[in-house]
Amino acid sequence: MIHVQHLTKTYDDLSRGCFVAVDRVSFSVGRGEIFGLLGPNGAGKTTVLRILSTVLSPTSGQASVAGFDVAADPSSVRRNIGFVSNNTAIYDRMTAWELVGYFGRLHGMSRDRLTERLEILFDQLRMNEFRDLPGGKMSTGMKQKVSIARAMVHDPPVLIFDEATLGLDVLVARNLLGVIRSLRDTGKCLIFSTHIMSEVERLCDRIAIMHQGRILDTGTLTELRERHNEDEFEELFFGLLSRHEKESEQSWKEEIDFNSKTSPPGGRGL
Amino acid sequence: MNSPIESPRSQNRISDKPRFSAILLIYVREMRDQLRDRRTLFTIALLPIMLYPLVGMLLLQIAQFTREHSTTVCLVGTENLVSVPPLLDGEAFSAKYSDEASNLKLLVDGSADLSTEEETRQETERWVREGTFDVVVIFPSGFRDPELRRTSKAAAIQVLYNVASDESLIAHTRITAILSAWRVDWVSESLAAAGIDIRKLEPFQLNAIDLAPEQTRETAFWSKMLPFIMLVWAMTGAFYPAIDLVAGEKERGTLETLLCSPALRSEIVWGKLGAVTSFSMLTALLNAGSMLVTSTLVFKQIDMGGGAIGPPPLAPMLWLLVALVPLSGLFSALALAVAAMARSSKEGQYYLMPLMMITLPLVLLPMLPGMNLTAGTSLIPVTGMFLLVRTLVEGQYTDALLHLPMVFGVTMGCLWLAVTWAKRQFESEAVLFGGQEQWELGMWVRHLWRDRQTVATPVQAYACGAIILVALFFGKLAVTTVPSGLAGLTKMILAPQLGMILMPALLMSLMLTTSVRKSLRIRMPHWITLPMAVLLGITLHPMYLMLAEWITYTYPISEDAMRAMQPFTEQIQNAPWISLIFLMAFIPSVCEELAFRGFIFAGLIRQRGRMRAVIITAIMFGISHGVLQQSIAATFMGLLLGWISLRTGSVLPGMLIHFTINTLTVSLDRIATSGWRGSELFITTSQAGPAYQPLWVVTSIGIAITFLIYFAVLRPRIDESQVDLLDIDPHLPDPVARRPLAQ
Repeated sequence: MIHVQHLTKTYDDLSRGCFVAVDRVSFSVGRGEIFGLLGPNGAGKTTVLRILSTVLSPTSGQASVAGFDVAADPSSVRRNIGFVSNNTAIYDRMTAWELVGYFGRLHGMSRDRLTERLEILFDQLRMNEFRDLPGGKMSTGMKQKVSIARAMVHDPPVLIFDEATLGLDVLVARNLLGVIRSLRDTGKCLIFSTHIMSEVERLCDRIAIMHQGRILDTGTLTELRERHNEDEFEELFFGLLSRHEKESEQSWKEEIDFNSKTSPPGGRGL
Repeated sequence: MNSPIESPRSQNRISDKPRFSAILLIYVREMRDQLRDRRTLFTIALLPIMLYPLVGMLLLQIAQFTREHSTTVCLVGTENLVSVPPLLDGEAFSAKYSDEASNLKLLVDGSADLSTEEETRQETERWVREGTFDVVVIFPSGFRDPELRRTSKAAAIQVLYNVASDESLIAHTRITAILSAWRVDWVSESLAAAGIDIRKLEPFQLNAIDLAPEQTRETAFWSKMLPFIMLVWAMTGAFYPAIDLVAGEKERGTLETLLCSPALRSEIVWGKLGAVTSFSMLTALLNAGSMLVTSTLVFKQIDMGGGAIGPPPLAPMLWLLVALVPLSGLFSALALAVAAMARSSKEGQYYLMPLMMITLPLVLLPMLPGMNLTAGTSLIPVTGMFLLVRTLVEGQYTDALLHLPMVFGVTMGCLWLAVTWAKRQFESEAVLFGGQEQWELGMWVRHLWRDRQTVATPVQAYACGAIILVALFFGKLAVTTVPSGLAGLTKMILAPQLGMILMPALLMSLMLTTSVRKSLRIRMPHWITLPMAVLLGITLHPMYLMLAEWITYTYPISEDAMRAMQPFTEQIQNAPWISLIFLMAFIPSVCEELAFRGFIFAGLIRQRGRMRAVIITAIMFGISHGVLQQSIAATFMGLLLGWISLRTGSVLPGMLIHFTINTLTVSLDRIATSGWRGSELFITTSQAGPAYQPLWVVTSIGIAITFLIYFAVLRPRIDESQVDLLDIDPHLPDPVARRPLAQ
């Protein structure tokens, strides 16, 4: 369902110059699978997922969702995904029912189908007690539920959760993980990004560990454990990260040496 | 021709048409959202409804206050009024000079205990200064003597008053009026006593009749005031919702929710634009309505300015409503685009001021005396619209109809530009997701140097244009004397051209880019374009002269300006031909083209900015000419030069066209008087100066159009608008493979 190949995203940044936020990232996710993107803050997870949701466009590389290219046909991609992120807030002056209905209608759903779907969703996520509460008066957990309902209203084949459990209490987070698991069982394709290792261990079928814009390793939990000869997942994660940091430091030094020998200091051009 | 390089992405991108249903959906949601917001309701509905009645009440209070305030006058030395016509009637002015309602409090003779005149003077001066009395009138003892009061200054009536006090000033006017009336009576009495018929003093009657219909008189004031008030409201009405709907949503994180929904960017922009426009119009309407009601009531109560200002009539209000629709749309689109640049509501507020400052002159312009709807003024955005409304209000329908297409075209053009700009803002990742970075001077300078690119960035291009225009403005102020001789002329032309136009562009290109040649767009176009550019210059020149003539006809040059330019024109006529061509054609064409069509153009064309590059460089090029008439001609010329430069991808053809046209302009009369026989084929000489033969004008236009068609099918060797993607080779399946990745 999701194919990402050599995806790269660069930004112009005042302090760092041309900053590579995502560096040649490749992975694929299939139907009925939960794919976990694990990495510390600033690893580039959100950028990858924003590119997949077509909010950002890639600098180079390719990504397709449900058969549509994110750069060439973004609106078809958007029709086939549900995106829940820390950055996708809900409207303060709209009730839960209105908000989810609004996005359903933006998806072009007919009134009857929409009402039917809303009833199902509100039941499923246990949102009926605050269906007429405006967003401004909701608790964080309620808001997150509304966001999930909003992403699921058109029943998309692909769902993307970016740090969806951030700021939720244990009870609500646990509930959310349950919802995600049940979605997998209905054959959805899911991407779940987080920096919390236990969630990945409990939830994800396959994992990619991201750091400084790159995917350091990817595979199922067992595969990763075997490959790195480390049972403790946390140790495995930190081992990978620190090894990468050392390597990149080394390559930096080499590059600087190389540059100072071959070319005069100055700009890099376009 | 060469095929342009285009990014594979832009070729493949499937363009979606905005759906009306989605736009309506977004519009309805935004409207409902704003109506649920208490702050919006307050500023848009409650404030205007409450504000005007409150202001009206205040006005009434003030009016009552001024009416009830009485004027206090002290008369000193009334005992000196002997054997004169009666001024006083007991303790008051006689009824002839002052009526009951005039509220004049009179204290006759407060100087009983003051012995000397000097003391009296000092004491009364103190009264006026301290405000005990508004005015003091002193009849000196010398006033008794009929001969002395006629001749001596010491025996004159003294009126002491204080300009610093409004009350004293009013009192002074009233007292002067009373004393004048008294004097007139006195004169006629004396004349009658001498046996002269007083009626002979007034040989005829004068009766001024205002022919303007009631409608015009009433509307004269309102047609100037109302647009201003309404426009300011339309602007404020647009800005606050725009900030909330874009910057506010960005801040609250709901914009990203909308962006990852199936709504297209264009649908979001249209929906939001509709909501902002509705609020802008609603604000203007409610304000106008509330003001209309209040002012009708207030003006009925108080009689301000002798009835010159009545309540606003209904007709202009209705015409204003018609004008309000496109103008609200225009302001809303501008506000939406500006608000999109802000990351938070607070930042959005900061942008309100500059936008106001830019638009206010256009609103104030129609209020200037003597501003009328003409072919010239109809071209000015916003101003033209309001002058049209005024013309409609005054009932000059044929005039209005004549200029309607122009005003309509200009307004729609501006609206289209503003909407396009707003849409571009919504497509820009940097605008929508730009992080809140810490800004530091040192870091910024380092960034400028470290991240130099082959050509300028758009921001650097704008900065370069601004530096050039500001430098030229101050340069012009510095030049006060008319140059004498060729040396002076040379200095006057070279200093701005080299120092203020070429220098900034050259320095910026040296310091901020890695390639001077590329950043100034000095590249060889197809060789045939160069001779064609010269021919195009020659064939365009007659048309250029016609344009210049039309402009001087539409916006006549003032006599003063003509006189000021006279010595300069003479200098030019007396200068040697070859140096004139060097100074007036070669230098400007090189300097101006390198700066405007070179450095600035190269920066602005980036990020798909073809239109932006052509239009903005043309406007900057126009403004740099300083004199209005020249500026307009230069702007048109700049559009053409920019378009040619876009087509050829180089600064050189434009330089040649510019050089040819300037050369012909300064040499036309020399060619005509050179005695060259062939010149008669093209040029006629009349008293007004040399001009082109009509036949040649027609032919040249035909040839020029042919050349232009050729340029229209040209494609530049590289597509500069995609310059940011140039290092990605479209033929490689994986573009990343060629990319040097350092990190």
